[in-house]
Amino acid sequence: MGRLRQAYVWATGSVAWRFPAERRRLLSAFARAEHGSALDMLAAVSTTQRRDLRRKYFRHAMDEWRHAGIFRARAAAQGVGDAADAGREEAGLLLEHGIVGGRTLFERLGEEGFLAFVYVAEADAVEQFDVYRRHRMPDPDTHAALGRILKDETFHVSYSRQELVRMAGPDAAPDRLPAVRSARWSRAKEGWLRLSRDIGTVVGGVWLSLLYAVVVAPFRLVARLEPGGWQAPATDARPALNQARSEA
Amino acid sequence: MTTFVLGISGLYHDAAAVLLADGVVVAAAQEERFTRLKHDASLPVRAVTWCLSQAGIAMGDVDWLVFYEKPLRKFERILSTAVATFPRSWRTFPRQMHAWLGDKLWLRARLVQTFQIDASRVLFSDHHRSHAASAFFASPHPSAAVLVADGVGEWATTSLWRGTAEPPYLEPLGEVRWPHSLGLVYSAITAHLGFAVNEGEYKVMGMASYGRPIYRDRFDKLARFEPDGSFTLDLRYFSWHWHPTRSGTDALTALLGPPRAPGAPFVPGALAGDAPRAWVDESQRHADLAASCQAWLEDALLHVAGAAAAQVGGDALCMAGGVALNAVANHRLAADGPFRHLWVQPAAGDAGGALGAAMWVWHGVLGHPPTSGPFSIDLGPAIARGPTLELLDDLGFPYVTVDDAATERAVDDLVAGRVVGWFEGRAEWGPRALGHRSILADPRGAETADRVNTRIKFREAFRPFAPSVCAESLDAFDLAPAETELARYMLTAAPTTGGLAEDAPAVVHVDGTARLQAVHADDHPAFHALLRTFGDATGLPMLLNTSFNLKGEPPVCTAVDALATFTRSDLDVLYLDGVRVERPPPHLYPPRGAP
Repeated sequence: MGRLRQAYVWATGSVAWRFPAERRRLLSAFARAEHGSALDMLAAVSTTQRRDLRRKYFRHAMDEWRHAGIFRARAAAQGVGDAADAGREEAGLLLEHGIVGGRTLFERLGEEGFLAFVYVAEADAVEQFDVYRRHRMPDPDTHAALGRILKDETFHVSYSRQELVRMAGPDAAPDRLPAVRSARWSRAKEGWLRLSRDIGTVVGGVWLSLLYAVVVAPFRLVARLEPGGWQAPATDARPALNQARSEA
Repeated sequence: MTTFVLGISGLYHDAAAVLLADGVVVAAAQEERFTRLKHDASLPVRAVTWCLSQAGIAMGDVDWLVFYEKPLRKFERILSTAVATFPRSWRTFPRQMHAWLGDKLWLRARLVQTFQIDASRVLFSDHHRSHAASAFFASPHPSAAVLVADGVGEWATTSLWRGTAEPPYLEPLGEVRWPHSLGLVYSAITAHLGFAVNEGEYKVMGMASYGRPIYRDRFDKLARFEPDGSFTLDLRYFSWHWHPTRSGTDALTALLGPPRAPGAPFVPGALAGDAPRAWVDESQRHADLAASCQAWLEDALLHVAGAAAAQVGGDALCMAGGVALNAVANHRLAADGPFRHLWVQPAAGDAGGALGAAMWVWHGVLGHPPTSGPFSIDLGPAIARGPTLELLDDLGFPYVTVDDAATERAVDDLVAGRVVGWFEGRAEWGPRALGHRSILADPRGAETADRVNTRIKFREAFRPFAPSVCAESLDAFDLAPAETELARYMLTAAPTTGGLAEDAPAVVHVDGTARLQAVHADDHPAFHALLRTFGDATGLPMLLNTSFNLKGEPPVCTAVDALATFTRSDLDVLYLDGVRVERPPPHLYPPRGAP
């Protein structure tokens, strides 16, 4: 992590850790990330051709699940937040993770790419958690939990680096491996796309709200909700196959 | 030449894929089992891939791909609701338009691109028609009234159908439309009681048994029931049609009292122990609210079932839609309702829509007459022995292959008080674990339920467990004649008799009921043999049976999932298709249990 990013993490952390609602949001996000990561690791256990790596991936998955539980408990302990979100989090529901187009992270990246991704992501997490840990948190239990998690994350960095070096040869510098560079680039691109998507959502929301106020409003005069009670089913004289072809 | 119809559901919740070969279900699975995201709502890519591989075909061999609802009709409902609730819908409109214009509206193109199928082979059913088809065509009844009740589909929230052996086989009779919805009232109360909507409804049902319906009269204010069997909600109490996250208004809070915070302690009288008095009182209020809501729903369903009897007649009612998964209400319908036979699609939620859509195409569109017969639920993935042993070796789990001796060994473990993970054959279709992906325990000790709730599944202590019982040994249950088919799929909660609460306290709920599974040897031979052998050893052919998963996760699907769940919980031993697996040495993996 560069100094610029460390400064960014420090600055955002300064805001996040100060306010309970922000702390809860951040800790919930960590919980979801760790849970998703556990699923990615478990998918790798199923898919890898390297039988010697299965045990490491499995242990990694177990660690991530434990971390998810710790973060979830710490988020709940903040005692604030939206009831609907809190209900989902209390249930431990995860809404999305690394499956894209029906393919897991491992299926998309292959063994070396996956290991490189793990190495880069875990190294980022170590640095991020380390920066957070150096904050003077108002919540000592969360501070202590971060310390415990950091130890596991350090192990994850270590084993993924070792495996990358083993695959590339003893003289290889892990940070210069093409797979690691590609993983870094991919994560940066993902971050950028996420930012773009967020900006697009905000801009789109503004436009759609304007549309709502200007275009939708006049129709309110004629629009009515459906009444209760039995309504006759819609009649459709078309042959069944033609009805089935229609999306309406 | 075989005709293949592939039904899919998704993009709201509970995505699934079902493959019919000449009208016979050859594969059915929910996407969540593969992605491990509970209620996964994405397009069911992995489930489709598995269905095709199970049948040994490629997408090019599929004659028809049918989606379970009509997207444009749903969009019409969303748009017109936003207009009709202006300006209160100002937060909902941008969110929904963003989702629909960006993605959901272009569904045909997305299906074609995702599944690489010719556009002319893509069909669309209606949401409630899919549910109705999943109930009627899968049932053993040649003719029946069909009732669908859920949150909402395109427009319908409750619908009545007539199912017959003659074309058109499934005829719509009437529907109650959005925003008037029985399912959404139950969901609103679910949220009021601090649980996640579309997930916590089971918990409300469990909570209800700790309370009394003393607030039942307040629920009368929420809806007016018409003499023709329909209903009209008083929408002043509800906001699901204009608010993005809240489903009840301040008027609902004024009527029912302050909502329960998510995760708040629930310690009503029966669970109180030495909890502070204020907690106990508040918990009891929540339990009474849940009981009142449950009683209201049961009355509402009886009212609508009365209309089904009046309009269709006959002696059989088939049901689907999320509301039909309410086992307590199903018992009430069976005991007090007008029908002699009741049949509920085991996957009554949106996953079942995939099955119904495919069945509707086969019967309703292609014109094949219905064939009534028993409906099997072992339609999901299985595992192979070789790769499983390899996996166990690689991960360092101690194991022994027991095969035919699995039943005896498992009974020994159960009698010794061990809690067993039981993974056998193909995975179940639907949300219930029926002896293929189950956690099993001896039901004779009251402490078993506490242990399984708190140290194995990490869920709330008040959640009940179900008994699985040999179908020929149901004397301990006061089953109405209409609910024998429901018990086959664990879809009813019947009163227990003859001191079962003392004999098997772990599976009898606080109100003396049990959500039993009557296990038939024809349906689940291995599981039936296990129950029978346990009965021979103990005199009680019954086991505590709960789904093989942890809180917030779908039931396990593969051997890897099972081992991960085994490792993270306090389960004692795992039976993996005839292989007895013990816990891994502690040095290999982190300590078990929740943080």
